[in-house]
Amino acid sequence: MTVALEGRPGRARPTLVNHNLTTASGIGLGVSMIWFSLLVLIPLTAVLVTASSGGWAEFWRSITNEQTRAAIRLTVMAAASVTLVNIVAGTAIAWVLVRDRFPGKGLLELVIDIPFALPTIVAGLVLVSLYGNDSPLGLHLANTSGSVYLAFLFVTLPFVVRMVQPVLEELDMEVEEAAASLGAGRATIFRRVVLPSLAPAIAAGAALSFARAMGEYGSLVLLSGNLPFESEVTSVRILSAIENDNQAAAASIAAVLLVISLLVIVALDILQRRVARRG
Amino acid sequence: MSIDVSGVNKRYGEFVALQDINLTLPTGQLTALLGPSGGGKTTLLRIIAGLETADSGSVVIEGVEATRLPVQKRNVGFVFQHYAAFKHLSVARNVAFGLEIRKKPKDEIRAKVDELLRLVHLDAFADRLPSQLSGGQRQRMALARALAIEPSVLLLDEPFGALDAKVRKELRDWLRRLHDEVHVTTVFVTHDQEEALEVADEIVVVNEGRVEQVGSPDQLYDAPANEFVMGFLGEVTVLGGVRLRPHDVEMTTAPVPGALEGRVVRALRVGFEVRVTVDVAGQDAPVTVVMTRTHARSLGLEPGTAVWLAPAEGATAVASATPAARPAPEAVAG
Repeated sequence: MTVALEGRPGRARPTLVNHNLTTASGIGLGVSMIWFSLLVLIPLTAVLVTASSGGWAEFWRSITNEQTRAAIRLTVMAAASVTLVNIVAGTAIAWVLVRDRFPGKGLLELVIDIPFALPTIVAGLVLVSLYGNDSPLGLHLANTSGSVYLAFLFVTLPFVVRMVQPVLEELDMEVEEAAASLGAGRATIFRRVVLPSLAPAIAAGAALSFARAMGEYGSLVLLSGNLPFESEVTSVRILSAIENDNQAAAASIAAVLLVISLLVIVALDILQRRVARRG
Repeated sequence: MSIDVSGVNKRYGEFVALQDINLTLPTGQLTALLGPSGGGKTTLLRIIAGLETADSGSVVIEGVEATRLPVQKRNVGFVFQHYAAFKHLSVARNVAFGLEIRKKPKDEIRAKVDELLRLVHLDAFADRLPSQLSGGQRQRMALARALAIEPSVLLLDEPFGALDAKVRKELRDWLRRLHDEVHVTTVFVTHDQEEALEVADEIVVVNEGRVEQVGSPDQLYDAPANEFVMGFLGEVTVLGGVRLRPHDVEMTTAPVPGALEGRVVRALRVGFEVRVTVDVAGQDAPVTVVMTRTHARSLGLEPGTAVWLAPAEGATAVASATPAARPAPEAVAG
């Protein structure tokens, strides 16, 4: 205690680095770093360490396994295309919710969040009852790769909408009017004035949606049937590796997912910056 | 005639924003739309610009029937109170925006942007972002952006409303000089009568959706059409059933034929001027008289001093419809 008290400001602090942290912000930074390390950095490192425990050859074998490659391909393809769909549909939904007035808007506002709030296994049950073998709609998606796309679409719907909506609400309509008075048509106004303002929010929503899809399990596991080379996703593949007591293989696949997600997030950020600066 | 507005009506639900507006604004002039907030002046400006559509009536700009034209086709420059800057674009690219839309050649755009930035004294800031500019600089950028498309009319909606008093005054002088240089037909909305009197060639007083009076600043100040215009352009006091300006009341400490006798209630000094409140016998509300500090001192005014009040020669006066001294615009038939 006494040591801590002696360390209080008032005394000249050693100027090792040139920073401007006060005691309070120093504690804040320390707590954040500890929290971040415990919850994120250490577990991530552990995954990488486990993945590399069998050596490079073992790692390579795990991830180049035919069935694993098929699962990774399906997951990445589905996550990427679903994210693309969300970028367009999510922005459109946010636009309608902010800019238009129509009966039932409040209800729609509420319904958007259901995929967020619903336990994913419940979502899975909903999808099975609608698109399963006894589909009342006559749509039989069970045991097909289509079921993976469908489940991803369902659970990732709110991300872009909810990220874009507040930004759109804050957008100054006068800026669009100014563009119009300068001769810009609606499409040009959207592309050159609105989109650059929305780009960071769209990119953040897209990143969340992609990451969520990459790790999705509960909502698709019932409908997809987890058929190898057809509808098996990486999360299911990881689970089966664990069940076969092959921790290293599970960690290897996880490491690949980690790298892909990281690359996509960085790519989205670069793209977003370019769009935001264009116009 | 540059802008012809005829028979324009506009309502928002039950609220009548504009009622049968007929207005002709000549080419090359600087016109102020003056009036209280919510009086319809901004709505009128937005209808001229095409940002709002009138329920009925027509707008003709430079001889072109513009009533059905979208804002993009009207070739008007519009400047907003809160600048409406394109935040993600540099100052130069903000100014270039309208020219890029018109697909002008690159070097032509560059030359035009340079010229305009020099005109608004922002040539040193071409590569800054709007967020790195002060309010006054942002508004000058917005003005350059609007001028870039060589508009047939320039419309400004409370252009100095968001700026502090000092910058506001500077920009006001600057706008007047700029207009003398560029000569584009300009209409600006303001609720500040001093701004209108100082800058405009012609003032249109708009209140409760109607035009109260149109005229030069001198005409409006010297011959207000009604109590509202008189009250809106400056302070008003009532003396013997006549409304006049407090500085147009002559005060003596000795009886004068025709003058009304009163008693000083208090004398408040504000800088160089003194505002004297006088109770006049037989009148409900006290009379306010404004005079210079020197004049007040020579009279030796104290609370309770007996004084005689009369309208000064050549004073602007309007017969009062109500005996009370409060301006009562609703009592005036438009």
